Amino acid sequence: MPQVLQGVPAVEPAGSGSAELMLMLLADARLPTGAHTQSAGLEPAIRAGLPVGCVPGYIQARLRTVSTVEAGAAVLARHRTRTGGTDLASALAEVDHAWRARTVSPAMRETSALLGRGYLRLVRRVWPGAAAVTAVARLAGPGRAVVLGVAGALAGLSASQLVRLIGYEDAQTVAAAALKLEPLDPVDATGWVIGAHPEIERMVAELASITAIADIPAAGAPLIEQWAEIHATTSQRLFRA
Amino acid sequence: MPERIAPARSLRLGVAGPVGTGKSSLIAMICREMAADLNLGVITNDIYTDEDARFLRSAGVLDPERIRAVETGACPHTAIRDDVTANLLAVEDLEADFDPLDVVLVESGGDNLTATFSPALVDAQIFVLDVAGGGDVARKGGPGIGRADLLVINKTDLGPYVDVDVPRMIADGRAARDGRPVLGLSRLDRSSIDELTAWVRSVLHSFRSGSHIAVDPGPMAPHWHAGEAGQGFRHAHEDGEHSHRHAGPAPSPS
Repeated sequence: MPQVLQGVPAVEPAGSGSAELMLMLLADARLPTGAHTQSAGLEPAIRAGLPVGCVPGYIQARLRTVSTVEAGAAVLARHRTRTGGTDLASALAEVDHAWRARTVSPAMRETSALLGRGYLRLVRRVWPGAAAVTAVARLAGPGRAVVLGVAGALAGLSASQLVRLIGYEDAQTVAAAALKLEPLDPVDATGWVIGAHPEIERMVAELASITAIADIPAAGAPLIEQWAEIHATTSQRLFRA
Repeated sequence: MPERIAPARSLRLGVAGPVGTGKSSLIAMICREMAADLNLGVITNDIYTDEDARFLRSAGVLDPERIRAVETGACPHTAIRDDVTANLLAVEDLEADFDPLDVVLVESGGDNLTATFSPALVDAQIFVLDVAGGGDVARKGGPGIGRADLLVINKTDLGPYVDVDVPRMIADGRAARDGRPVLGLSRLDRSSIDELTAWVRSVLHSFRSGSHIAVDPGPMAPHWHAGEAGQGFRHAHEDGEHSHRHAGPAPSPS
């Protein structure tokens, strides 16, 4: 059995100070979930010729498509975790299927499932007795969206906070990876993340009230998907995806 | 959904050390010498990812399927120390795909003298230096040189060509290690190869018997231990050394 962490508090109501701290923790790149292996698709984009000046636009494109779909699914997974039900595992599997149906690239689904495993490893240690953890652990390779939705519910995050987490994490992943891939002033890359705030708040407005499968947006990004597929078979990668 | 039976927990053996000291070659040597007797797997963490994996596959010493590269996003130190997630998932996948594995070797991406593995990732670790990297390196010390389970001083046959006093370098290593083992290794020196494989077998034996203690080479900050009644106590390791007793071969946390 994994060693249980000491001192994890009970779930706090959304909006409490504890939820804010959990939001910061979950958004921190130092969280041990394997995030440092990721470029949010930027490495293949740059290899394919994306100029570094276009990275802010790339961040915005990700937020409007990939991250919008992921955050929409996560919001629903959080909602279903909070409302419970007799068969939470099936309810979460349905959300995962909905996310998969909206994520065309097999490579992107595989990457998300790998990240989901990383978060699941953490969540199982932080909330070992939670029924939602048992339920999500029964799914076969769930994408990160569903695992983060469960984590958000257990951490007491509001739906808005969960959307901000996913949007911020994606923008920051691109910005941090850009510093490894291109010669840049790190403060400029931080400026890109700040510049993405209006788009992240647009996501919050669009997604935070989702309570049904049909409400999860289905926005595709064919070029990002193609790059992800190319990267999956590229040798000598700096980042996993 | 049916419960999956957990695959056997292998001995997870880390190999760290600076670039070019011969980590991949040492792993190839272990595979060449031991693959007939033991079920082995290899994870590599090269900075440009699959260079080491390709070298090992081309060496023909192990089924290429059993050699996997993990990308570290240019953070080879993080991947073995402060966020071992990607490596742990890769080790678990190897253990599941080739169950039962005896040993999984995890090669760190070549890093500086401060890089050591977290005990959350490996049960034991080898730190590799080489004669050609300079005779004074063993004297410089550091957590890996001082406290890895085994210090290998590689390429001893090159001593005369690079003007390094090999016995002196090995003596420096011993002095830095307070009695822990040091092995002068050369691919041309049969007895040194036999010493290496004997060491791997002895660690595997103690791991299986439950007596193996994973030692963290540090550096250590003050940290917590869970007490028996659930309370923790805080302490620091003044000497930078710390050990955790493992329960022996048991299903891995996942």
